[in-house]
Amino acid sequence: MRTKEPGDDKFAGLVCRLNLSGLTVTKIILWLIAITIVSFVIGAGILAVSGDLPGGHGRTASPFVEGGSHGNTSSFPCGGATSGTVSITMGAGELSVRGGAQEDILMEATVFSRNAEWQPAITQSVNGSQTIITMTDKGHTAKEWVAAHTPNSWDIQLSNRVPLDLTVHTGAGDTSLDLSNLNLASLVVENGAGDTEIALGSAPVPGPVEISLGIGDLTLRVPKSSNTRINVHNGVGDVSRSGLVEQGGFFTTPGYNPDRPVTEIWVKQGVGSTSLEAV
Amino acid sequence: MQQNEQEFIRILKERLEGTLAREELDDIVSDYSEHFRMGKESGRTDEELCKSLGSPEDIARELKALHLVKKAENSKSCGNIFHAVIATLGLGLFNLVFVLVPFLILLVMLFVIFIVGVLFTVIGPVGFVFSLLQLAGQPAFAIWLNPAAGTFFAIGITTMGLLLIIGDYYLARFFYRVGIRYLKWNISVISGTEEI
Repeated sequence: MRTKEPGDDKFAGLVCRLNLSGLTVTKIILWLIAITIVSFVIGAGILAVSGDLPGGHGRTASPFVEGGSHGNTSSFPCGGATSGTVSITMGAGELSVRGGAQEDILMEATVFSRNAEWQPAITQSVNGSQTIITMTDKGHTAKEWVAAHTPNSWDIQLSNRVPLDLTVHTGAGDTSLDLSNLNLASLVVENGAGDTEIALGSAPVPGPVEISLGIGDLTLRVPKSSNTRINVHNGVGDVSRSGLVEQGGFFTTPGYNPDRPVTEIWVKQGVGSTSLEAV
Repeated sequence: MQQNEQEFIRILKERLEGTLAREELDDIVSDYSEHFRMGKESGRTDEELCKSLGSPEDIARELKALHLVKKAENSKSCGNIFHAVIATLGLGLFNLVFVLVPFLILLVMLFVIFIVGVLFTVIGPVGFVFSLLQLAGQPAFAIWLNPAAGTFFAIGITTMGLLLIIGDYYLARFFYRVGIRYLKWNISVISGTEEI
């Protein structure tokens, strides 16, 4: 049996002074209501005093840091290159690639992230007359993932002038590639999970155009005036077409002529719908 | 089908066995036997008496529903009120609208309040820890506009969650009492008797 220790009497006295026996449910509820009101009032008071009161400066009424974040932009010059290879690898997030980079700039990348540690690794090298740029997501530590609302969004602008071999790998997330103004030499797109939207230009792409998707919907737009042939291998999901003609297992643009330079697109999709549009 | 006393009592017993206690069942059977005895003494036939009493299946359903409602009243539990509601549903198809729909709406409402309460109770302490880490200069945990304010908001969220859970409990008790009265009224209306 446990023997009585000197501290026991002190502890018993403390418990008696707390008077827990008098703590009724009503008292508990009243205390909780009081604590709730006081906590919110003090919290709002601190925000008001510090000038962070929600609703001010165009913010929504939330004491939390908003999902919006500032972008970090990096530019990579062409450096006299006559062609370029751009390889983008993103783990998870939203990716947007389009043309319209400034003159003499091969790639301009804006990374939206609240956390400095979320910046991707970007390297640039020159091989003869070709400039090679790789932009790779470094991945995130468990600690970073705990930070709620941390966005990961990349907005990339590429040169319209320089012929480009473009490779895009994304793990999960929505991908939007508006490549209609680009001078593409080849294109490889791989997306593990998420919706993908790709728009190509009317100029023929001499190299291969390969699109591989795991799970997610694909929307592929080509100009009606282009000389394009599309092969689709779809696992589970519908394939819909608009403005395209089906012939010999391929979807072609209305004026398709094999004797002219052709853009040949190969689509492989696991699960999800495929929408092919000639606009 | 023409029925006699034995047939009537047999069906009644068969339908009520397993739900009612032996003594209660014996009391009911004895009441109906007495009714038949007195009826026969006044010159009425078995057939007439059976016709005046109504179908033994309907009587058994009403008695069963009443018994289960009383059981739910005396011993409060989710299982008991659920059985009472199911038994009351068997009294008429219209009870799908008048009993089942309100019951399901209440159930979903109480469940949603409970889940919100639990979420607040869990999110509050997490937000509190985040605010402390933010105060300690950890940028990865910066979820609050102002960490000092965040500390108090987190406390408020936690206590609000606890209040929701406690409030949900009392709300459930209130609706339980109201529900029992409503079920009793419903049975009395269907059976054509006065409120039980």
